[in-house]
Amino acid sequence: MGKQMTEMLKGVLEGIVLALLAVRPAYGYEITARLRERGFAEIAEGTVYALLVRVEQRGYVDVEKVPSEKGPPRKVYSLNPQGREYLDEFWASWGFLAERLDQLHSQPHDEGDRK
Amino acid sequence: MTMFTRFIETVIGDKKQWRDYKARARSLPPPYNEAIDALERYVMYFGPGDDPVPLLLDLLDLFEQSAADGTPIRQIVGDDPVEFAETFLNNYPKGNWIVRERRRLTDAINQAASR
Repeated sequence: MGKQMTEMLKGVLEGIVLALLAVRPAYGYEITARLRERGFAEIAEGTVYALLVRVEQRGYVDVEKVPSEKGPPRKVYSLNPQGREYLDEFWASWGFLAERLDQLHSQPHDEGDRK
Repeated sequence: MTMFTRFIETVIGDKKQWRDYKARARSLPPPYNEAIDALERYVMYFGPGDDPVPLLLDLLDLFEQSAADGTPIRQIVGDDPVEFAETFLNNYPKGNWIVRERRRLTDAINQAASR
């Protein structure tokens, strides 16, 4: 993944993770796997974990510890009402940005600027 | 080395938590123990100097789970370990000295801007 893409993704990854949790609850590894399925290929598991720690601290998710066959119990994250509210806000911000950028992108070139 | 002095005080205060952390970190299999040692060192310098233990325990959870799943180190930490460490560190309250310096900077600029 290019440096530019990585930088851009950094700002929206939290929203993406919450959007995935809105579909259904998941533990850390599942979220990374779902990200891969959706084409976000090279996101490190640690980065996803760091984001999960953050959304947990901010109170956007509820956490349940579920025993696993191997290793320590897994933390299963589910979006709570506060997280849902934050996600709505995220989509609104995204819509605003996407619209503005689209306008900028589709604007006819101003020949006057290009002497 | 005031940061370390403060750190040592913290450790004395929370000796048991710290010893538990160390014991769990030591019982991680290689190369996961090596990775967490490296991150621990970084956290001691740049992390929340007052109480690094909650952060280290969260990191430990990640590495214990990864060791159980056999996830490669590169897949956990990603291409840029510093970036990963910083993303992670941002989730925790900053150490006193960082908070103090930020306040000092903000106050100084406020004063300069008001002239």
